[in-house]
Amino acid sequence: MMRTEPQTNMLEIRDLCLDFRTDEGIVRALDHINLSVAPGEVMGLVGESGSGKSVTAKTIMRLNPNNAIIQPGSQLWLNHNGERTDVLALRGRHLRTVRGGAVSMIFQEPMASFAPAIPLGEQIIETIQIHLGHDRATARKIGIELFERVGIPMPEQRFDQYVFELSGGMRQRAMIAMALSTRPKLLIADEPTTALDVTIQAQVLELMLELREQLGMAMLFITHDLGVISKIADNVTVMKRGEVVEAGAADSVLYSPRHDYTRRLLDALPKMDRLPEPPAHTPEPLVKVTDLSISYPIAGGAKKGELFHAVRNASLQLPRGQIIGLVGESGSGKTSLGKALLGASPVSGGRVEYLCDEHGYTLGGKRKPKRQQIARVAQLVFQDPYSSLNPRMTVRDIIAEPLEALKLTRNRAETDERVKEVARLCHLEVSHLRRFPHAFSGGQRQRISIARALVCKPKLLIADESVAALDVSIQAEILTLLKQLKAELGLTILFISHDLSVIANLCDRVCVMKQGEMVEEGTVRDIYLNPQQEYTRKLIGAIPLLDQHRLSADKVPDVPLPAMELERVRMGYQG
Amino acid sequence: MLSAILRRSRSASTDNHAAGAYDDSYYTAGQLALIKARFMKKTSGLVAGFILASLVLLGFFAPFFSPVDPTINGANPDYRRGAPQWVHFSDENGFSWRPFVYSYSKEKPKLDFKALMKNGGGLDALDKLTSSGALNSSSQNKYLVNKEQRRYIQFFVKGWEYPLLQIDSLGIDIRWDRHLFGVEQGQIHLMGTDEDGKDVFSRTLHAIWVTVSIAIVALIVKLFTSLLVGGVSGYFGGKVDAVLMSITEAVRVIPPIPVYLACAVALSQLDLTPVQRYFAIAVVIGALDFAALGRRLRTHILVERNQDYVLAAQLSGSSHLRVIWRHLVPSFTSYIIVDTLINFPYVILAETSLSFLGLGLTEPVNSLGVLLQKAQDPDIQQNMIWQFFPVLVFVALIMAFVFVGDALRDAADPYSERNK
Amino acid sequence: MTEFFAESWLLWLLLGTGVGLWLGGRRKAWLRYVYHRYVMALVTLLTVSAIVFSLMEVLPGDCAEKYIAYKNTQGVVITQADIDAERARMGLDQPLPVRWAEWVSDLALKGDLGFSCAKRQSVNIALGDRFWMSFGFCIAGLLFAYLIAVPFGILSAWAINKPWRDSNPQHSPVRRQLNTLGLSLAKLSDLTLRVISYLGLALPNFLLALSIILLYVFAGEATPTGLFSDAWKNEPWFADSGFQWGKLDDFIGHIWLPIFVIGWAATALQLQTVRALVVDESNKLYVDAARARGVDGFRLWARYPVRHAISPLFNSVGFDFQRVFNDLPIVAVVIGLTDAAALLIEALAMTNDQELAAGILFLVALVVIVMNFITDIVLAAIDPRVRSSVMGAGGH
Repeated sequence: MMRTEPQTNMLEIRDLCLDFRTDEGIVRALDHINLSVAPGEVMGLVGESGSGKSVTAKTIMRLNPNNAIIQPGSQLWLNHNGERTDVLALRGRHLRTVRGGAVSMIFQEPMASFAPAIPLGEQIIETIQIHLGHDRATARKIGIELFERVGIPMPEQRFDQYVFELSGGMRQRAMIAMALSTRPKLLIADEPTTALDVTIQAQVLELMLELREQLGMAMLFITHDLGVISKIADNVTVMKRGEVVEAGAADSVLYSPRHDYTRRLLDALPKMDRLPEPPAHTPEPLVKVTDLSISYPIAGGAKKGELFHAVRNASLQLPRGQIIGLVGESGSGKTSLGKALLGASPVSGGRVEYLCDEHGYTLGGKRKPKRQQIARVAQLVFQDPYSSLNPRMTVRDIIAEPLEALKLTRNRAETDERVKEVARLCHLEVSHLRRFPHAFSGGQRQRISIARALVCKPKLLIADESVAALDVSIQAEILTLLKQLKAELGLTILFISHDLSVIANLCDRVCVMKQGEMVEEGTVRDIYLNPQQEYTRKLIGAIPLLDQHRLSADKVPDVPLPAMELERVRMGYQG
Repeated sequence: MLSAILRRSRSASTDNHAAGAYDDSYYTAGQLALIKARFMKKTSGLVAGFILASLVLLGFFAPFFSPVDPTINGANPDYRRGAPQWVHFSDENGFSWRPFVYSYSKEKPKLDFKALMKNGGGLDALDKLTSSGALNSSSQNKYLVNKEQRRYIQFFVKGWEYPLLQIDSLGIDIRWDRHLFGVEQGQIHLMGTDEDGKDVFSRTLHAIWVTVSIAIVALIVKLFTSLLVGGVSGYFGGKVDAVLMSITEAVRVIPPIPVYLACAVALSQLDLTPVQRYFAIAVVIGALDFAALGRRLRTHILVERNQDYVLAAQLSGSSHLRVIWRHLVPSFTSYIIVDTLINFPYVILAETSLSFLGLGLTEPVNSLGVLLQKAQDPDIQQNMIWQFFPVLVFVALIMAFVFVGDALRDAADPYSERNK
Repeated sequence: MTEFFAESWLLWLLLGTGVGLWLGGRRKAWLRYVYHRYVMALVTLLTVSAIVFSLMEVLPGDCAEKYIAYKNTQGVVITQADIDAERARMGLDQPLPVRWAEWVSDLALKGDLGFSCAKRQSVNIALGDRFWMSFGFCIAGLLFAYLIAVPFGILSAWAINKPWRDSNPQHSPVRRQLNTLGLSLAKLSDLTLRVISYLGLALPNFLLALSIILLYVFAGEATPTGLFSDAWKNEPWFADSGFQWGKLDDFIGHIWLPIFVIGWAATALQLQTVRALVVDESNKLYVDAARARGVDGFRLWARYPVRHAISPLFNSVGFDFQRVFNDLPIVAVVIGLTDAAALLIEALAMTNDQELAAGILFLVALVVIVMNFITDIVLAAIDPRVRSSVMGAGGH
């Protein structure tokens, strides 16, 4: 770690141990954590869910729930205005030093972090009054200035609005304004960009960098995304299961990682210089989508029969045995399109043709194919591995469901045989089949979901944001599994995602959607390195990437890239 | 509820490595098991649950636990309006390991007819007699306690015969005549007797089960109607939903007790045996109480219907029937169980209110409502205060139900485990 | 012409309000929502009237029988033919829907609740101000319940998440002991309060009223029953000697009993509701976020979880009223009230007076529906969460 003199550190954590008292006994959440942040420094705290990074942040603000026990011997010091404060000993009013006074926090979900029934401005004024002691009028003036500063248009009006009246990006900006309102010396940002679309993420990150330059505060930036860290952090601490596994200057951690775990995290980032080879030839399409439109009636709309057009005139072909990525930001209609392929969205125009020999059928035509008919050919893997498995059924019953529903097997023994076969294929232990889904982690659940989809030997697998809810290292496992299944079973996979990094690592072809329309389509290389459309260019440019030069310096690239293009990729992000 | 388990499993999967492996059964636990595990942590709920279980057991096996036949057959003509007999271990005559009660004898009536005659009869004499208090009911239940004559309490004594297991349709009728305790001679009246000489303690024990069973029948009927209304409304939606819900809304705004009353008055016109009347009351209470639960079930189905796993089942090619049966029905069973338990006291209260007005069950049936009704008799209020014993049992029963329901609600609440 | 309007004033009032709201709703979203709720309320009222009317069919006897029976007591000999003729005269031989339609049209045109045969006077007159008496009892009982349930429900919600003892190793042993003491006290007082409030639920109202009366009997004092006795009514509020404090004193000495009895029972349920609502809100992320900004103590609780829990509580006032009124008839019997609830019991259980019972039940339902309507539109006006959910979707 890039150690400065200890007494100049703004925040010092030494040997922090924290346990949770739970139903199952004492669970250790933090194990001898050491961390320090110098004034003006941006410390990146990286780790996956359950690594203890959020618990650490909450401990600094003393916001832990009642069942958290901070073990004796833990030290947490804050150097502030020349005073050295023992944070763990703070009580009552003095807690305000770490709660807003010298430290403030940006939460991951701005929507849930603002009280819904109090105007945003009211909450900001309250905070300013508590910490700076201004009167209402002054506090309001400061608040509106802050809104202006974080780039909220029409700050006067926005100031009196409620949180649900703002868009996602604006909410996060308001959250930042709120965090800045007390002029903190240390800003803790807990996954501030994770819930945002990639282009908005880029804007928010840029804003935070700018503010840091202007205000000179220190920052503890918590995220699981090393790409984001590379843009913003001076130093990085990597955590895993409550322990610090690697710490040091951002450059050394990111470009010459020592710990295996850090390396695994880095592998998940797309490598612009190692994008997959385009397949030699394009096979016959399995599914042909022609001029597909999808529209939903707006519930309780001002006029009866008013429709919301989720997808407009989209055309697309899914070549056999390939993985096709479908990319778009939220509201682009990509999920509606995916569901339409399964007959689960209302098709208002155009058609979907399945070109299979025996089971072929057409959607959007006059005759609607039966549910069972579709289920034999195409299956869906859901986004949320938690809500898509019935918690009251055993894994065996879940996987066997399509077989039983479609009556594909003659007897129970045959069903069991098929279920075991698929379970092995998806790397699930046969001995786990009797358990209920809540006994499994997210990754394992997603394997169950894939096994269920594969059990009736479909031709097409639609994966709707199937790895979005998973940690990076588990994402990698699922992606490997999908690639393997494609190779072994000759599956065609439509992979729907907002995450361009995942698409780059997995797919053969990519389609880009924007507001219900198909923008661009092509091989991964074409789209990522030579995008034709303005929107695609913006999207690709917004991916937070490591500096490709420095990466390539260490390794021999498979295919050298034109330097100009690399430069553009980096600049695209910055600008 | 669902999210609670999700959250739990999420934390479990990550904590697993840190804290080592837990018992395997934890992972395979269903939703009910999770609620149970959390319920076990609530002290007040556990205590209340214990009391509740004991009361219900006492009621269910009332014939075994009561020393005296509660019907008019077991009435003690020698001890009408008798005060509770205290159980002693020792007195001035010495200590005994076996508990005992005293025997009693009726005081000679004070009515002095001679005096009546001597005064020449007439209304004046009668007035005098009345004002002397001799006719006062308070003096009618004076019993002389004979401390010399002990009646020792015995256990597993032979007494009146009662059916242990009776299934008419199968012709099974097993009868027994043993009781937990009794005395050598005569009868023991722990809580005294009423004006017919019926044992208050035994009556109360029998009444518990009658009242609880009426609530069970009512709740089953309620469940049925709620499921029908909520299920049809939630699953079909659209116009059916709109019509059913507007009716439900209308039923919800009318106060139920007057409605029960009207139905009870109508029932009283019919010529019903006590058993039929008993079921009719239960059915009326249950059938008219569908509004709240029906509404909630509808909302639950509407929410659950849009869950991913239901879509997953549909996309797997499952038929409507299969989706309902395998996915939707199991999703609210635990919810219904909790709701039913919470509603127990309200149903019991409805029954007692009806009985109190004389429109529910009536004598000679033993229900808590019937026994409570007596509490408004000034004679009992002033002279037979022991007849308030059923009131105590009733209050204990309702309190136990309420606290169990409270703890259950907390246990089923997704947030309860986060901060403890 | 004037007569025509006088005969149907209520209908014109209802229609006028509806048209006014509809016109206003074309410009303002809130008024559109109000209009929507207004129509829904009228539909519900119509359904209620149908339910209540058909419910009364199950009561034995009808108007003709009662009228003839009355004549019988006057010494007139009657036959079945007389009864049938009377029935035809009164229109009782018509099928149920027709009679219901007549009843409803009278009601909707001029607010006429029908004619009570048992009392031989119009239901409106028979009720007089007794309905308002019951209404007053219920509102006072509700206020009593809220006054107790809201503060203690919040306390209970605060205590539920606290441990029984402080085992934070960061604290010194002395402070741990002190904190444990404080926590135990809070938990204990919470438990005591819950027991007391649930006792209100477990003790049926009539028992509670009886017990209080009994206490008075044992203490040898006059029982506080007999509210609004004739002697009391005849006493003027203002006599020559100025304001009659004695009358007020007597009033308060009697009025507390019904209010206390029905209020206590309602408290238990309210306490549970408040507790659940506040606990629910206090677990939300925005409370943590507010804490992270330095908002603490009373201010945190009052402005965040409590403030956000008030709306759903307010929204249930209508049904709370229904629940309280539900308990009132039996209490009225026990302590000898002369209000509408007592009339209802009399009409149902003693005189089988269908028209009177239907009128009272309908009025109660009307109050509940009006309360629901008011709370709905008020919440839509002041709570931004409700506003966005109902107005964003065009009032549904």
